[in-house]
Amino acid sequence: MVPISMKSFADSASLFIAERSDAPSRQVAWEAFEFAGLPTTSDEVWRYAPLHDFALDRFTVVAEPKSAADSSFAAQLCERAGLAIRVVDGFCVSSGVTVDGVTVEAVESAQSLSGSTFTTRYASDTFALLNIALAPTTTIIRVAAGVNVAEPIVVLNVANSTSSFSRTQIFLGRGSSATIVEYFEGGADALVVPLSEYEVGDNASLQLVTYQRLEATSWHVARTTGFLSRDARLRQAVVGIGAHYNRSRNDAEMLGAGSENELRTTFLGSGTQVHDFRTHQLHHGARSRSTLLSKGAVADTSRSIYTGLIEIEKGAKRTDARQTNHNLLLSPGAHADSVPNLDIRENDVMCAHASSVGPLDELQRWYLESRGVTRDDAERLMIQGFFYEMLANLPPQLAELVERDVTSVLAAVNVVTP
Amino acid sequence: MTSTLIIDGLRVEVAGKEVLKGFDLQMRSGEVHVIMGPNGSGKSTLAHALAGHPGYTVTSGSVSIDGVELLELSPTERARHGLLLAMQQPMEVAGVRPLDLLVAAGASPEHLRERMDDEARRVELRPEVLDRFVNVDLSGGERKRAEMVQFGVLRPKFAVLDEIDSGLDVDALGAVARRLSQATTEWECGVLVITHFKRLLQELPPTMIHVISGGRVVATGGAELSETLERDGYEPFRVTND
Repeated sequence: MVPISMKSFADSASLFIAERSDAPSRQVAWEAFEFAGLPTTSDEVWRYAPLHDFALDRFTVVAEPKSAADSSFAAQLCERAGLAIRVVDGFCVSSGVTVDGVTVEAVESAQSLSGSTFTTRYASDTFALLNIALAPTTTIIRVAAGVNVAEPIVVLNVANSTSSFSRTQIFLGRGSSATIVEYFEGGADALVVPLSEYEVGDNASLQLVTYQRLEATSWHVARTTGFLSRDARLRQAVVGIGAHYNRSRNDAEMLGAGSENELRTTFLGSGTQVHDFRTHQLHHGARSRSTLLSKGAVADTSRSIYTGLIEIEKGAKRTDARQTNHNLLLSPGAHADSVPNLDIRENDVMCAHASSVGPLDELQRWYLESRGVTRDDAERLMIQGFFYEMLANLPPQLAELVERDVTSVLAAVNVVTP
Repeated sequence: MTSTLIIDGLRVEVAGKEVLKGFDLQMRSGEVHVIMGPNGSGKSTLAHALAGHPGYTVTSGSVSIDGVELLELSPTERARHGLLLAMQQPMEVAGVRPLDLLVAAGASPEHLRERMDDEARRVELRPEVLDRFVNVDLSGGERKRAEMVQFGVLRPKFAVLDEIDSGLDVDALGAVARRLSQATTEWECGVLVITHFKRLLQELPPTMIHVISGGRVVATGGAELSETLERDGYEPFRVTND
């Protein structure tokens, strides 16, 4: 049953799908979505989402991208990139300049990098199903085997309409390397549902930064999955600042022996924001390694949830998996929850997790103060430091730009010292 | 201008136990004072209490620079009044860069990076280390030298150096001693060194040596006192009191 509140969204969705009748998988995904319906807060994984103020009918599926000027930050980001790909409302509107060894295309595709179809892969994920039905295209970036892309690639995702479903796939061929930034902005009163997949080939290395700076009135429900071959490295940083509800699910499957995933996620909550981070590191390959660091700060009456699962399959011998979560409370009205989980089916492994919720480290703050830094400045430096740490993978010219942007956001956040 | 640091009758508790039991010391700009004493005598407690460490409670006494009572001031204000502590175990502050720390601490941003690099070279620290976050991924010796970079940039009236020599090899030790010695003339820095070892003093001639035991000064003298300590150890100076 489709609830009444979904009706006008459903009309625009049906029209969108009807115009793409050569892609039957869209209709399959839509029907799966309708069958599943929207989640409710009685589902454990949606328990903290402010679903009471969510209604699909506030959004419309658009037939074409709405044009508007990008922010000056976006423009600067693109200027400093070797290749900038512009995606508006999920439509790939520009695939940038030509870079040797890199191809960019936007295609109609139903195939997940997992080997199955998108619909099969994401059958239990309601919002992913919406993306599968309604993303206008799959933007595919391929880095050829053995190519080291010197300059960073920026994927600029702008949401100008009330809904934006973008889908991105990144392939790194054997022995290649690249640094890619996925940046999100816009999204006023919009539903933004990106779906990304990354395949990192044998001995290839992908450094990835996802920087989410959507408007505070948007709903952002994102999902990323990395698939790592033998000795592949995926270093991913996910920085979430914007959105009314910011949900970010970041998974990695270490399929090949010796593969390595480093995931750092961070967020800054203010106002009544909810940041909802989910991670899943699946160890299949022997000697695979994962390091997960989640650090966030919540101010005002915002809240955060971190739920991480490390899963080690039988046979993934000598894997090493580490998970750390630190949450910082910047006001008495803010709240943070941390739920680490382990599922280990192999004995010969190293696995550790730690989590904490509290105020800033008093001794670190004192150290800064004892140099002559004021308490306010010390706290700002430390909170800013959460984000700077996340950007350590970026080349300096991009890190500097993003750091300045983060600093400007932080300057507006109210810190109440307990 | 000559400044005076006066520590008078300082009593400090750590976790409810009195460690400093009436510590006195007076020194002026450009002087080098050395505090030596056995483990547990209160040396590091003195350093931490002067800089306002939250784990140390001052129960009585006074610490002043030119008549301004520091104990009534926040750690920030103490530093801004010219007192800087170089720590025995400098803390890691992930995500904070040394340059940003120094700007926030009041260092003039003009040519700051050049000044930092210059200070780094003077204590034989590779300047690239200063690109890393404060003390993160630094060896013990590099941390000590990074503290010296802050010292050289911030130019305090009085610097307290808590076992700056531990973790340094002989060459680095010499460089640090020379840097401190130069500071006593460059801006007439008053240097208060807490150390176990005489070696630091070879290139940092002391004005006065104070032996601390049981939480107070039990002997004061010139450089010859360190010879006595070297020969006889602390035993002749040990006091027991509770």
